[in-house]
Amino acid sequence: MVREITLGILLALAVWGSAMNADAGSYAPEVGKRHPDFMLPRIDDRKPVSLSDFRGKKVLLIHFASW
Amino acid sequence: MPVWHAATREWVKSGRLVLLGVVQEQHADRARLFAQWQQLDWPILHDPINILRLQAVPIPVAIDEHGIVRAVRPDLKTFEADFLNKTFPDDGGEAAPLTPKASDIAALREQAKANPTAGWRALGDALALWGGPGRLDEAIVCYQRAAQVAPADGDAFFRLGVCRRLRYETASRRPGDFQAAVDGWSRALATNPNQYIWRRRIQQYGPRLDKPYAFYDWVAEAAKAIAARGDTPIALAEPPYGSEIAFPLKDLPQPEALEPPDPEGKVRRDDQRLIEAEVAVVPASVAPGQSVRVHITFRPSRDAKAHWNNETEPLRLWVDVPAGWRVSDRLLVAPQPRAAETGEVRRLDFEVQAPPGAAEPARFRLYALYNVYETQGGQCLFLRQDISVEIALRK
Repeated sequence: MVREITLGILLALAVWGSAMNADAGSYAPEVGKRHPDFMLPRIDDRKPVSLSDFRGKKVLLIHFASW
Repeated sequence: MPVWHAATREWVKSGRLVLLGVVQEQHADRARLFAQWQQLDWPILHDPINILRLQAVPIPVAIDEHGIVRAVRPDLKTFEADFLNKTFPDDGGEAAPLTPKASDIAALREQAKANPTAGWRALGDALALWGGPGRLDEAIVCYQRAAQVAPADGDAFFRLGVCRRLRYETASRRPGDFQAAVDGWSRALATNPNQYIWRRRIQQYGPRLDKPYAFYDWVAEAAKAIAARGDTPIALAEPPYGSEIAFPLKDLPQPEALEPPDPEGKVRRDDQRLIEAEVAVVPASVAPGQSVRVHITFRPSRDAKAHWNNETEPLRLWVDVPAGWRVSDRLLVAPQPRAAETGEVRRLDFEVQAPPGAAEPARFRLYALYNVYETQGGQCLFLRQDISVEIALRK
């Protein structure tokens, strides 16, 4: 059981790792494709949020900068 | 972005739409102040290392109830009809996640040992995002290793720069952190000159001749507007200064003709280093005819328990200029607080322009004059510190 969980984690990391190395891909969401999930800290230190937390709702994701 | 915020308010209120922000910003508290000012009441996520690999902002993305992208930069005029009012099929396939979780750190450490090329950067990402200031040292080591095994890995260099700058702003700073941050960002940009998020990070601290706009001029306006509403503006740990709030220029102004304050070098030197001075040049090198911004940070030594004496002349910095080079200022004066003794960090910055025919790097000789107490309430000394600044030439 423990081994299966470990293998599962390593597999997930391998998938994540390959996504990150798909080099050099810059951010390019494709219309008609599922947006890759991500989890990031919040600016107000509240509980981190994933995009997938909003599954079932329509989302307007806004990438911006404050500068 | 404020346009979308205003236009979608009713949809968000009625539960038809969720707004989710991701901000490209090194300082979370600056983003918090921005959100407070603009009254953005939706969740905003912080991506200080640009792990999502954006090349530019802003980018709004419409994502349906299944997590599938239905529009990139949607048209506000048709947003309701084309997106909000529609029901979409779940037909988007699967995609690997873009970010690690805090719980991945132990497994990523093992992966880094097995696959250093990708592994060190991935571990650095997890530590930078989830480790907090206490694990910045580890994140920096990971990114250094990543950059060493993959010298063309711009992400590793950029993120290394972010972490060095973050550490520079903490009590755990190491000498040279700011310059190392600039070097990391410069190395990153050299691998991909089209990466505007990376370029902006250098420009934030860079010379006015290379600025597209003032980056943080809004901070003062925001604080005033928030106070006028009767609220208390969020206090910033690192208030923007100098280059961060400077407006672009097309030409360097002619500096005032001033006499040097200690032409014969008679003022006693700060041999004990009661004040620690650190230099950073942004960008890290200059092309002929181009300019750089030179940042000097002054910190009273914690080991010596030194303090500024504010009851006399303020900290001054004199800049000697090599032949043919131009500077924005010859004499800079740091503001000082009203309290008689303080121990804060003081920063001065100025700009240097290389002559069009520059063929050699330049060495600038500066000196600072200041009044400092050896210990709190101790002996007051008027001291001079000579500072040398090397500016490398980029062909």
